[in-house]
Amino acid sequence: MVGTKRSNNKLIIRYVIAGILLLVMVYPYLYMVLNSFADWSQVDKKLIPTDYSLKSYTWLFTGGDSGITRPWINAFLNSVIVSLLSTFLMMAFGVMVAYALSKLKWRGRDTVNNFIMFHMFFPSIILLIPSFLIVQKLGWYDSYWALIIPKGVSLWAIFMYTNFFKAVPTVFIEAARLDGASDFKILYKIMLPMSKSITTVVFLFLLMERWTELLWDMIMVSSDNMLTLNVLLSQMFGPYGTYPGPLYAGSVLLTVPIIIIFIIFGKNFQKGMQVSLK
Amino acid sequence: MKENNNRLGWLFASPYLIYSIVFFLLPLIYSFYLAFTNWDLIAPTYDYVGFDNFAKALKSPGVHAAFWVTYKFMVVFIPLVIVMSLVVALLVHSLPRFKSVFLIGFFLPYLSSGVVSSLIVKGLLSYNSPVNTALRSIGINIDWLGTAWSALLIVGLIMAWKFTGYYALILTSGLESIDHEVYEAAAIDGVTGRQRFWKITLPLLYPSIYTTLILAFGVTFGIFTEVYQLTGGGPNYATNTWQMEIYTQAFKNLQAGYASAVALLAAFATFVSIFIIRKLLEKWGARNGWN
Amino acid sequence: MKRKKILGLMALVLAFSTVLAGCGSKKESATPTQDGVTTIEFWAASNPTQQAFWEKMAKDYEQVNPKVKVNVSVIKESPSSEASIQAAIAGGSAPTISENINRGFAAQLANSKALVPLDTLDGFNDIVTSRNMKDTIEPWKFADGHQYVLPIYSNAMLFGWRLDLLKDLGYTEPPKTYSEVLEVNKKLKAKYPDKYSWAKADLADPTAWKRWFDFFMLYDAASGGNKFIEGDKFVGDDKAGVETLKFVDDLRKDKGILAQNVTDPFETGTSLFIDLGPWTFTNWAEKYPEMKYNQNYTLSMPPVPDDVDPKDSKTFADTKGLVIYASATKEQQKAAMDFVKWVYSDAKHDAEWFQQTMLPPARDDLTTNEAFKEILDKNPQLKPYAENVPNAIPPMDNPKYNDLQTIIGQEAWNKVVRGEIDPVTGWANMKKAIEGELQ
Repeated sequence: MVGTKRSNNKLIIRYVIAGILLLVMVYPYLYMVLNSFADWSQVDKKLIPTDYSLKSYTWLFTGGDSGITRPWINAFLNSVIVSLLSTFLMMAFGVMVAYALSKLKWRGRDTVNNFIMFHMFFPSIILLIPSFLIVQKLGWYDSYWALIIPKGVSLWAIFMYTNFFKAVPTVFIEAARLDGASDFKILYKIMLPMSKSITTVVFLFLLMERWTELLWDMIMVSSDNMLTLNVLLSQMFGPYGTYPGPLYAGSVLLTVPIIIIFIIFGKNFQKGMQVSLK
Repeated sequence: MKENNNRLGWLFASPYLIYSIVFFLLPLIYSFYLAFTNWDLIAPTYDYVGFDNFAKALKSPGVHAAFWVTYKFMVVFIPLVIVMSLVVALLVHSLPRFKSVFLIGFFLPYLSSGVVSSLIVKGLLSYNSPVNTALRSIGINIDWLGTAWSALLIVGLIMAWKFTGYYALILTSGLESIDHEVYEAAAIDGVTGRQRFWKITLPLLYPSIYTTLILAFGVTFGIFTEVYQLTGGGPNYATNTWQMEIYTQAFKNLQAGYASAVALLAAFATFVSIFIIRKLLEKWGARNGWN
Repeated sequence: MKRKKILGLMALVLAFSTVLAGCGSKKESATPTQDGVTTIEFWAASNPTQQAFWEKMAKDYEQVNPKVKVNVSVIKESPSSEASIQAAIAGGSAPTISENINRGFAAQLANSKALVPLDTLDGFNDIVTSRNMKDTIEPWKFADGHQYVLPIYSNAMLFGWRLDLLKDLGYTEPPKTYSEVLEVNKKLKAKYPDKYSWAKADLADPTAWKRWFDFFMLYDAASGGNKFIEGDKFVGDDKAGVETLKFVDDLRKDKGILAQNVTDPFETGTSLFIDLGPWTFTNWAEKYPEMKYNQNYTLSMPPVPDDVDPKDSKTFADTKGLVIYASATKEQQKAAMDFVKWVYSDAKHDAEWFQQTMLPPARDDLTTNEAFKEILDKNPQLKPYAENVPNAIPPMDNPKYNDLQTIIGQEAWNKVVRGEIDPVTGWANMKKAIEGELQ
């Protein structure tokens, strides 16, 4: 591989194009961050503001002139609790069900498998109203239960893990069984450690989807102290005059944590995608 | 051993089974039932109205719009997102270093909440925004969200922005799994450049493209947040998706019964469409000998 | 074999639903009455100043009456405060009492038996007397003879005009008739092609409540306060309606209307006039302190057709009130009523409200009572709102107001604003659709 000058130039051009493209794609985020720090006279007025202040953030936490604060910190914590617990449940159940579907032989397995495919492609919007009524019947309306349990099973996670487990040679499992290991033990001691890469992918996707959920969280909750961050933010588009600066500040609050988590796990995530997509 | 596995199988699958009964089958039956009533969610009593809700829905402009808008979004969104993610994937794949930095960078838009991206777009597209002021100075004045075609385009663009990096990841792993020897063999045969792309890369990449296509079609049936925040389904129903219509009827107009009927129609339309699309894609792929 | 399986599945589902229905007990919130202390849930409008007022009242009241605890929280505005309340009722967690209720919505709730007729509770008449609101509350009576809402504030919606722009165009006061407005618009467009007479995205939005702040303001002025809908009948004034739409159509033809998303159109001078509610002033104090009454902006009643005397102009009354919910316990309902009675027994509280929210209290003595004089003197921009209350027409009280007002937008107003239909056809289509809906 002797890099000639010509192919070197070509490579540089490619990097430049990729760089510009990337900049265009992440510009909306930059716009959001810059506007959240912009002076109020410049919010949404310039592509890159020139005057900066922290007013939007102080307004967010002090409520400005009215002195009425919205529960930002509480909503943030709610989002963290709800997202983490939901994601944990989705993964735990996903692994369990996937194990049953891929590594256990039982009557009814094919039926359940087909049913899951049917369920997966079913337009879930149809279930929104009756689900709301069922949640209310269960007495879960306006509580963590409503935000966590009905969002505790992910068909997609089941699907991903099932496909992955199928590729794991049965030899390991049979060997472990001969050693007298229970299936739970096999699942958590053998299968899970083998699926680290895909677990990162599933975890990040589920966490992100739960974190940005709007419709469900909006409908299931009525009191202030149960709001999630995304819902609280969507409520700031009020009829009594909006404050764009604080809206951007709230957006930063919502977006930055998930991006940080993502960048931390980024390398594993990308590897995991390679593995899980092959 | 076999007996044992039978019990274990059901036990391990039980989280899903319970979930699907409580949050899938039960709501499904419930919504069939609701579709034949005129309940408003709060009144203590309601009547059975037979097929009235369905008759009303089939005549309603909102439902007609929802039916067509889904396909219009497909026309805008799918070519856009497939081409963009292909470009990104091919470009990144050709870079010898920093591949994952770029891939992760392009993936970041996928992490955005629809609320946030809508806010940003609203800001960027308001009449006195820098973008529109600049456009007006060269004589272009478009009411982006108030004109049917541009509202569709904008929502389609936001979705494409969001999903490009995700799909590019899928395509990149497809590209990486293509054996180098294939290219080398082709080079000996004198296949290079553009021909190489059409004759070798694309056919070998087809399985990955198929995956992204299916995912992308699925997305078009579930558009809600962006439309809800940006256009409310307007102007004049131009962006009124199924989700938007059902949401409006159920939670804005409080017509749970009617909304259930609309939801059933939406489910039916979605099912038939997805089925036809899959069949067409498979046929198309098979005819070109790609899969 | 297969059938057996399906039957088994159905049995399972049925069993589950019975179990679910069985344990479908109501959410166990803090017991409303405990150790002799009654807790009531008060939902305030998501307007920060209103919330602040009620939180203070709640605190003060708990000092005077330790037997009651008032929890104030905000009504969610997404998708709308009405939908949030309905969802909460459906979800079994309705508050005891809430503000921010318009007549139409109250009618809808009363229709679904979700409200308590206030006149059946002790103390209602005392409030009406002590708060001096006999005339104000009279038109709020519902068809069944009951009062379901206690109006808190009422203000005549006005148009704000950029005085600096008007002066720039050679005027000293806002135009009063349609042709005057059109003339000003022509001059505006000649001088500033990028500015508009009326710029806001809501004009093209079919959302029901948005019609209060555009269509009804102009229509009430043109029709001399016609009710539009009375009981279950459409009684709209065809001539005034068509004229209203035609005015908007003419303004649009002269490029005077911009129905797209504009950031603060009036404050930035993109819009020559705008519909303005007094709540805007608190917002301005924080965001646009440079907005000064009679310096760079002024206020006026809606313009009228050329054959109507501008002095007879009417407008829309933005008025909202308190309701008490039927789902609350008897103790809670009583405690809520006592709380309200206490709040309105002292005009000082209303003055505080007025001062903070700038929304004129719904009382008969607003312009005469000494308690409000100081506020009106200090905030001269509030005077026209208070003075025009008698010229303001409250919203319809039809339970289907949401659908009906959506029709106005969808069939006529929005289409005319976008130039998709001529005013006469638009009005005719709307009338037909409304009459269909009312049947």
